[in-house]
Amino acid sequence: MRIAARVFAHPVVRTLGPFVPVVLLWWLIARSGIVNESFFAGPGVVWSEFIDLVRKGILPSYLSDSVTRLAYGVGFGLLLGIPLGFLVGLNRWARRLTWPVLIFFQAIADIAWLPIVIVWFGFSLTAVTFVIVYTIVFPLTLGVVAGVDQVPDELVRAARSMGASRFRVFLEVIVPGSLPAVASGIRTGLGYGWRALIAAEIIVGTSGIGFMMFDARRVGDVAEVFLGMIILGILWYALDALVLAPFEQATVERWGMVRQVETTR
Amino acid sequence: MTAMVIDNLHKRYVDRYTGEEIVAIGDVSFSVHEGEFVSILGPSGCGKTTVLNIVAGFIEKTRGTVTVGGTEVTAPGPDRGVVFQSHALFPWKTVLGNVTFGLRMKGMDKARREQAGRDVLELVGLSGFERKYPHELSGGMQQRLGVARVLVNEPAVMLMDEPFASIDAQTRRKLQQDLTALFELRRPTVFFVTHDIEEAVFLSDRVVVLSGRPSTVRDIVEVPLPRPRNWHAAVESTDFRTTVTRIESLLSGEEAHVGDGS
Repeated sequence: MRIAARVFAHPVVRTLGPFVPVVLLWWLIARSGIVNESFFAGPGVVWSEFIDLVRKGILPSYLSDSVTRLAYGVGFGLLLGIPLGFLVGLNRWARRLTWPVLIFFQAIADIAWLPIVIVWFGFSLTAVTFVIVYTIVFPLTLGVVAGVDQVPDELVRAARSMGASRFRVFLEVIVPGSLPAVASGIRTGLGYGWRALIAAEIIVGTSGIGFMMFDARRVGDVAEVFLGMIILGILWYALDALVLAPFEQATVERWGMVRQVETTR
Repeated sequence: MTAMVIDNLHKRYVDRYTGEEIVAIGDVSFSVHEGEFVSILGPSGCGKTTVLNIVAGFIEKTRGTVTVGGTEVTAPGPDRGVVFQSHALFPWKTVLGNVTFGLRMKGMDKARREQAGRDVLELVGLSGFERKYPHELSGGMQQRLGVARVLVNEPAVMLMDEPFASIDAQTRRKLQQDLTALFELRRPTVFFVTHDIEEAVFLSDRVVVLSGRPSTVRDIVEVPLPRPRNWHAAVESTDFRTTVTRIESLLSGEEAHVGDGS
């Protein structure tokens, strides 16, 4: 029993273990021949497709294109969304003036912008970045505003009565106090951004994972479509496990401000 | 020496939902001497916390003056540290980080403020917990930290807003006992809000008894108990019992002065 417990506690087993039945089911369906082979590629075929695309250098180059675009979009999105959120959250006038506009633009889906974005920027990195930034900024801004609102008044009062200036209250109380909501805003924003990227690549794209999948569909290469889907999942998982979850564990979870974040390691 | 003077304090506000005007504080005047422990007691909703919030500078008064250490109160400041019922500790700071917050705001260098922090933590019985986070402490320990965090700044007056109300009865007795010992050792000036008569009598030199809303001062009762005090002796003393009974009758509106101490 104890050895079994030790094995299941191992990070590799904990990460990959739950996927074993998924892959097994996938393999069984492919093997059984219920579905036509040209519509449904098995694990073996996808794997050799993967090796092939890596060898040709297509996959690494598409992958780095997608990740670069995401990085640009996320970078600008964070730079814009976080200060905007604090401004709207803290300033009564800023909130009154921008709130209806924020709600209005939040409702226009990212992809709904693509037609006009292509008119403005063509099939370019700028167009893709615009869509990702747009997608990230709204959930992030609203997340930061929610975070500012959830900082208990008494913490601000306590800081003020210990001699903190308004600026110090912002740095020492508002910023860390809003972190749980800001962190979940970042998580949501990134998730939306990631989806927007793939959508944008499918429509605008000349390269990237989204383009690869759509292009493969055109020539009927189902294995490549499957491969693209798997890569999307793995990339998000890696981002969550290597960046988001550790950040939350070291901050809001350590401080007892949220329940334990589900560990993905 | 007078540490704090409240003169003709009046507070009126308009209810956000009904639009009706509410007089929270009718007319309240009293003063607190340096090194004195004064409690304010009254029926629930009588505006005693409002008085404290005005003294702290958290809300504005409608009329009257509040003077602490000779200057009139207009905004929150480190001369009036507050101990909250909800503790209001910073979850993202360690115990040491919480206790040294005020000194850091004052610009004291790290070595000195950490030394001062450790000293006051020892005083309240939190030595060895410096690196813990507030959520890792029990409710009683959290409020010890709440007191230490204010005490270390040596405020002109320490404001305490029902600090033990959300703590279980047994721990509360212990905290009251320890606060008394701390008070007798350091002699800070304390202004204490409570609805617990026995607590007010046990801790205080004087108790300001308010009437219901709009609150006015019904009476200011001197507590004739000698210091050092402890619960054991207090509950057995006639002075304690008569003072409690007197305040009870003041609160229930009866003017019968049972065992008039004045």
